[in-house]
Amino acid sequence: MAPLATVEDVRAAFAAGLRDVASPADLQELRNRFLGRKRGAVTALLRSVAEASPDERRELGRQANALKQEIEQALAARREASAADAPTAGDDGRHSPTEKPAAAEGSAGAEVARGSGVHDRISGRGAPAAPLSSAVLDVTLPGREVRVGHRHPLTAVREEIEEIFTGLGFEVVEGPEVEDDYHNFEALNMPPEHPARDMQDTLYLDAPLRTRSDRPGTLLRTHTSGVQIRYMETHEPPVRIIAPGVVYRRDTPDLTHSPMFQQVEGLLVDEDVTMTDLKGTLECFLQRLFTPDTQVMFRPSFFPYTEPSAEVFMSCVFCRGDGCAVCKRTGWLEVLGSGMVHPAVLEAVGYDSERLTGWAFGVGIDRLAILKYRVQDIRAFYENDLQLLEQFPL
Amino acid sequence: MRILVSWLREIVPVPVGIDDLAEALTRHGFEVSSVDPAPEIPGRPAAGPDAVLDLEITTNRPDCLSVLGIAREVAAIYANPLRWPPLAEPPAANAEVAVTIEEAGAAACPRYASSLADVRVAPSPAWMAARLEAAGVRPINGVVDVTNYVMLELGHPMHAFDLDRLAGAELRVRPARPAETVRTLDGETRALGDDMLVIADAERAQAVAGVMGGADSEVTGATARVALESAWFDPISVRRTSRRLALSTDASYRFERGADIDAPVRAMRRAHALLAEIGAGAPRGGIADCYPAPRTPTTVALRHARIGRVLGIDVAPDFVPVILERLGFRIETGPDEAGAPTWRVTAPGHRVDVHREIDLIEEVARHHGYHRLPSTFPPLRRPPAAPADSLERRRLLRRVLTAGGCSEAITYGFIEEAAGRPFVAGGDELVRLANPLSETYAVLRPALLPGLVDALVYNRRRGRRDIRLFEIGRRFSAAAGETPGVAVVVAGSAAPEHWGDGQRWRTGDRGGRVPPADFYDLAGIVERLLDALGVAPAFAAPAGAGPAWFVPGRSAVVQASAPGEGTLVTLGHAGQLEPAVAAARGLPAGSGAIHAAELDLDAVVRAGGDRRRLVASPPPRFPAIVRDIAIAVERTLPAAAVRETIRAVAPDSLVAVRAFDRYEGPGIGEGQVSLAFRLTFRRGDRTLTDAEVQRTMREIGTALRTTHQATFR
Repeated sequence: MAPLATVEDVRAAFAAGLRDVASPADLQELRNRFLGRKRGAVTALLRSVAEASPDERRELGRQANALKQEIEQALAARREASAADAPTAGDDGRHSPTEKPAAAEGSAGAEVARGSGVHDRISGRGAPAAPLSSAVLDVTLPGREVRVGHRHPLTAVREEIEEIFTGLGFEVVEGPEVEDDYHNFEALNMPPEHPARDMQDTLYLDAPLRTRSDRPGTLLRTHTSGVQIRYMETHEPPVRIIAPGVVYRRDTPDLTHSPMFQQVEGLLVDEDVTMTDLKGTLECFLQRLFTPDTQVMFRPSFFPYTEPSAEVFMSCVFCRGDGCAVCKRTGWLEVLGSGMVHPAVLEAVGYDSERLTGWAFGVGIDRLAILKYRVQDIRAFYENDLQLLEQFPL
Repeated sequence: MRILVSWLREIVPVPVGIDDLAEALTRHGFEVSSVDPAPEIPGRPAAGPDAVLDLEITTNRPDCLSVLGIAREVAAIYANPLRWPPLAEPPAANAEVAVTIEEAGAAACPRYASSLADVRVAPSPAWMAARLEAAGVRPINGVVDVTNYVMLELGHPMHAFDLDRLAGAELRVRPARPAETVRTLDGETRALGDDMLVIADAERAQAVAGVMGGADSEVTGATARVALESAWFDPISVRRTSRRLALSTDASYRFERGADIDAPVRAMRRAHALLAEIGAGAPRGGIADCYPAPRTPTTVALRHARIGRVLGIDVAPDFVPVILERLGFRIETGPDEAGAPTWRVTAPGHRVDVHREIDLIEEVARHHGYHRLPSTFPPLRRPPAAPADSLERRRLLRRVLTAGGCSEAITYGFIEEAAGRPFVAGGDELVRLANPLSETYAVLRPALLPGLVDALVYNRRRGRRDIRLFEIGRRFSAAAGETPGVAVVVAGSAAPEHWGDGQRWRTGDRGGRVPPADFYDLAGIVERLLDALGVAPAFAAPAGAGPAWFVPGRSAVVQASAPGEGTLVTLGHAGQLEPAVAAARGLPAGSGAIHAAELDLDAVVRAGGDRRRLVASPPPRFPAIVRDIAIAVERTLPAAAVRETIRAVAPDSLVAVRAFDRYEGPGIGEGQVSLAFRLTFRRGDRTLTDAEVQRTMREIGTALRTTHQATFR
């Protein structure tokens, strides 16, 4: 008598046999070879269990039975597949309306068992398997596309900024887009007729709009500074916030201007907050958003709500500071406005401007996205062309 | 502000080359936006390299809108003295023009200096004309050019009236009278308002104060005598007038930012000197200086310790008084405070930006150098607050929607009225802009859908068929104010096309290999996003035809029950977009159906649970029993009604009811529909028996027959 085949040998032999099956007759022949009552390989295996030593008997029995089940399922699946290979006319994929009630699906346990074993290893996919005639796959055909959408690039940059500042201990706060004059200008040291109001050409509403505060909205906010004022009005210092959001200016759209754009403003108010802290924080921010070797430069500027004020430049992301067309040969790109919070602003919200100091900054997300992704035209962000959107990280 | 370097050199030594000068000015807050070659100035050869610098002067520094102003900064930067341009000694004789500042005009004009001059009007000499042109001012004639030259050089605007064309040889500073008009130098007749200040003769307005002179008293070739004006006008009054008249001039630009109230007489003396120098005229009589209430200069206390607290650096105490004095401030040393020096600093009249200590700290920072600030990091004194729920929710929404195949759009908050009009709910109104850029941006969006439809059309016109977009943003309406929303549009196929799908669909009647997306594709997305926010939605047929922007009969009200409340609240709508709406926005014909949904995020949040309070339940230990039933009912009966009947009858062991088929046609009675449901039964404490499920199924059957006259198939 030939030495008894092991369980693994039989499994491998069956798998090889299944690969060669090309017709229902082949399938029947395969079944006889392995499960036949007289000469079936699995049948022989099961008989041998009785002759095994008591130690081995239990394990061998379990394995042989498992193999038998696997083979039965694989054969059944292959039979189903060959039946499904010829679609019925008029089948539009719906379930047949004549399906009978009370078709039990069995227990959860049975469903799990269906997903494993020989059949799966061979076809590579769940049921129904490939038709008998194409048992060999053309693996070079494309996979079935999984349709996923993309975040807007401005959202991607905004969320990255939010994450950086959240990591630095800042809270993210938001506010209304329709603002009142007080929160957009007056509380920011820009009384009516202040010439600095010209710096931000404002869009006004035709009629006041009711808001959640007691002041009706009269304009579209030109910056998110109003959010900071509201926050200070309702919170005790220290304040450590960023305020991202949509802002509006009466700018005719062109390559670098959009009448609506996204902005993030930051505000830190505490005892002993200094301008060098501002520089350090912005340096950290820009280095994380761009590259760790990004250089930051401050230049004096003017904003009514900060003093001293600084325009912030970073080393050009295109030429790394060597000078190119984008940075106008200077090696520097202007990216931010910032400064120490004007004491009048702190006083407007009832803070002690002697005990407290603070700094604030504002940055256009669109501008950062343009630099980060090298988008040529700010208007592209608002066209929402899927061919652009789909290029950005999920 | 265009500054000719050779003109600057007349007032201050420039010890460096042009590029270094430009760099230094930029570093001190006067950005040089361009350096242009200087024209040749006949008779005034440059004493060194020359150029025209184009400077960006920030609104707080009107004093630097002049050669003198820049010269002061250059003097401070390089520690050099200023050399004042020659001023004429005023003649002692009395002036012959009577100036009255009427009481109503006194606030807007606290100082008005004037003088008379006999003139010979002729073109100004080449050097003066060339300098004016280099600064961007057109030369006119010797007299007018002198006033402009003084403005460019010293920063103080002046004006010259033809005295013989003034009625009564007098000047009155007063508000404009009702319905008063004046023809300004540009030839326009301007209607004035009573909040505008004018300079008038005995009869009528001859100039808009601080803005522009009148054409009727313009200096011409025939002018023999002029009244020269060198006044100080209130910034707010000038700005208001300039804006109302939509007339901005070199003079109004300076006055509205703040001129030097100490400058009028000095400017007049400079004008006299220049008239004499170019032979254009000579003063007749003295300078009448009407300045009834002289201003006290601003004095501010400055503490060395405070400089350090704001800037974060230790500026040498000696540096502070030195730099401020070079800039023209008067310094008195005060008592030490906690061992650190203090000063009392008096601002010169031209420094209209200096009101308080911080304004001086800025001066110290500017001249100490921003490039010398090191980088430090602010300490965190208390734990930061947890991220706001609204923020977390929006991120979650984006994750769910992108995972569901939708890409994010960001569209403008203002839109064309025609785009917004179809989306205005009955009884509501669009919010209009008072000063829109154009008709394209005339109204605030009443909903997110108009923008998304436009974005969809944009993509469709570029050949995209499968388009799924969403937007999260604010909407605006007269009734509801500003509200947050989320909207989705779906067009194209239900699933991506795949080579392997031909077998499934090749015999279907849907035309393509994959079926087009329909209402239920959209509903699935809406269900998924609401589920993520802890909301169990109910879709209901709208009362009546539904919102006008949907096809009647093909939209749903999306509802949910608020926690703790039995009533359903409306979250928004979903449906098939009315084809005419998209067609009006340019959707090409044959693009197929668009499905759209928009939800109010405030309502969704109110209906949602607190996700952080989620408690996990263990996976079920006992097997489920699944039963399918198929019934025929009236065609108009909503599936939800059947579902509710089943739930009402079944015990708690019914854990899921899901419709899996709907069929009408051959084999089903006229006016009837076949609905099939899959019911899942399970208990958490034991295995269910077939018999008890069988009993429940019979009860369900009876209920469906009685309630809905269902027949079983």
